[in-house]
Amino acid sequence: MPDPSFLFAQSLSGLTAAMFLFLIASGLSLIFGVLRVLNFAHGSFYMLGAYLAFQTVQSLGRGPSSFWWAVAGAAVGVAVLGGLVERLLLRHLYGKEELYQLLFTYALVLIVSDAAKVFWGTQQLSVSRPPGLAGAFRLFGTLVPYYNLFILLLGPGIAFAFWLGLNRTRAGRLIRAAALDREMLGALGVNVSRLYTGVFVLGSFLAGLGGALVTPVKTIVPGMDVEIIVEAFIVVVIGGLGSFWGTFLGALIYGQVLSFGILIFPRFSIFSVFALMAVVLILRPWGLLGRPLKS
Amino acid sequence: MQRRMVLAALLALVLLVPPPADAQKPIRVGFPMIMSGPGALFGEPASKGAQMFVDELNAKGGVLGRKIELVVRDTKGNADEAVRVSRELILKDNVDFLVGTLTSAEGPAVSVVAKENKIVFIAPIPKTDQLTAPDKLHPYVFRVASTTTIEGRTAAELIAGWNVKRVATISPDYAYGQDVTRTFVEHIKKVKPGIEIVDQQWPKLGEADYTPFINAQMAKKPDAVFSSLWGGHFVTFAKQAKPLGYFDAIKYNFFGAGEAASPESTKAMGADYPVGIWGNSYDAFYWTDGPPAHRDYVARVSKYLKDEYPSSWAIQGYIGMLALAEAIKKANSTDSDKVAKALLGLTIDTPHGKLTIREKDHQANRAQIYGKTVKDPKYPFAIMKPATYVDPTKFMD
Repeated sequence: MPDPSFLFAQSLSGLTAAMFLFLIASGLSLIFGVLRVLNFAHGSFYMLGAYLAFQTVQSLGRGPSSFWWAVAGAAVGVAVLGGLVERLLLRHLYGKEELYQLLFTYALVLIVSDAAKVFWGTQQLSVSRPPGLAGAFRLFGTLVPYYNLFILLLGPGIAFAFWLGLNRTRAGRLIRAAALDREMLGALGVNVSRLYTGVFVLGSFLAGLGGALVTPVKTIVPGMDVEIIVEAFIVVVIGGLGSFWGTFLGALIYGQVLSFGILIFPRFSIFSVFALMAVVLILRPWGLLGRPLKS
Repeated sequence: MQRRMVLAALLALVLLVPPPADAQKPIRVGFPMIMSGPGALFGEPASKGAQMFVDELNAKGGVLGRKIELVVRDTKGNADEAVRVSRELILKDNVDFLVGTLTSAEGPAVSVVAKENKIVFIAPIPKTDQLTAPDKLHPYVFRVASTTTIEGRTAAELIAGWNVKRVATISPDYAYGQDVTRTFVEHIKKVKPGIEIVDQQWPKLGEADYTPFINAQMAKKPDAVFSSLWGGHFVTFAKQAKPLGYFDAIKYNFFGAGEAASPESTKAMGADYPVGIWGNSYDAFYWTDGPPAHRDYVARVSKYLKDEYPSSWAIQGYIGMLALAEAIKKANSTDSDKVAKALLGLTIDTPHGKLTIREKDHQANRAQIYGKTVKDPKYPFAIMKPATYVDPTKFMD
């Protein structure tokens, strides 16, 4: 039996990873749920968030609050970009075959990755933890970095805010309605086009936020866009595409399976996650909390 | 009539003289290299180092009176793509030689192309032993990079000098990581039998979250760690390991092979770098104890790259092209068979000192720079001090 403090540390690391994944995957899932577009470029928005955060920290210097300004700036910047992409480009593809939308978002992936290379080069970039959260504290015999604690609190916070927004506001009701039957919603006189833009902006905001928040624990390199989109897809497939709590559950499961999977199959860390995804796809192709698509 | 005869004779004479075109035509060298994606961070400076050598040589008149032309192609870090562009370089661009590739997957793959086409191929970066293993060796493949054997054994010798007993490893789970780690474990057991390997972690290449591996390793309570996480992988790993108290727990008895102490990595991490660990690098611009030729090289490459702290990868491309040019000179020909023969046993003067390409396995006695990282007020990032070029000859079979 392994040391309990080790098991605690392991589950905590799984939880932290899960919260990051939730931030990214929830935006992906939201956009799919309402717009029925599988946005491959979601990972590219995440990468842009990271680069923008780096750029802002560079220009603001290492002050106590520069990191937080950078996070806010990156998330808003990416949200604006998302809005432009939806308004100017993506909307011409609604109602066309899904293949066109896939190709379009895939083209965005290529364009953004090359543009990022032009602006920021190929070197590895790194952002330090914000001064207030640089340290760590001891809990049950393991060191918990303050920054990880912050992420652990932020994840459920965002999930709760989301839940509140979806269930208690008019916009939330519209979003839920659009996910169920958008034609009916349009027929009832709701401006669906504006709703789509809003949802795309919100999804992009979450991607940018995730990208900015991840910079203190990861390296900013070309290729991080594709890496995250694969993980986010696994999360939403496990949880159920378009299902909000499914994404949360999927992220939690992903994190824990990865953390404890390496204890059982040390050489095949990623194997446990893929195995889980395969099992879910066989037993419940629509994900744990998703609902089957009407054909 | 007479005038016509003279003209005809003149024309005949002109036609008889061997066409000087061949002497003027540049020698074309194909350079398949990662120029996009995460690996471009290393491929780009490596190709610039090669280009710098070519520019300098051409300014001095080239080799055999001919200039060299470098044709760089992007392999995207993918072995299949490396094979494809290498074939294209040979068939379409008519290159005379190949120098290049970066990963341990690309190198052996391009080696097969070189063998098929009977074209000399010099690998300046891939370290896997498999490239020049007896069953893979052929007359046209050569390597001027270090190898996994050299790197793993050098690390083992250095760690054997530390006062530690419980050693762990953490390495990316693919050819390079496996080869260098296996060599390290075998060698340290041989030179210091009292050592116990208490834990081995194998995150996948490109792992984004090392925390579970870090926790699992700390739970085994090692007092020293050998790692071959390279480039951005090491940066991510160290950023996650430091706040978890990982480096404190092993008292910074950490050895980062795979260029963890390269100026690129310490520069990227700045204040977040786990200063005090050991590591290595292909080159270090601050290696002032090096030969005078190295100081001279650093001044030139710094100017060429317009970088006060020039990349440590440029030297790989530089030495690769240097070996080729010297072999062409020795062979007095650009025929691949003759150049391949000239490369056997060839000794060249490099910024890192003399290198000899062994006849037995076409492998140069190439080492890397090793050292313990410290803070130096002269630089805004950690450096290795003292930086030592460890002669690899005794570690080669």
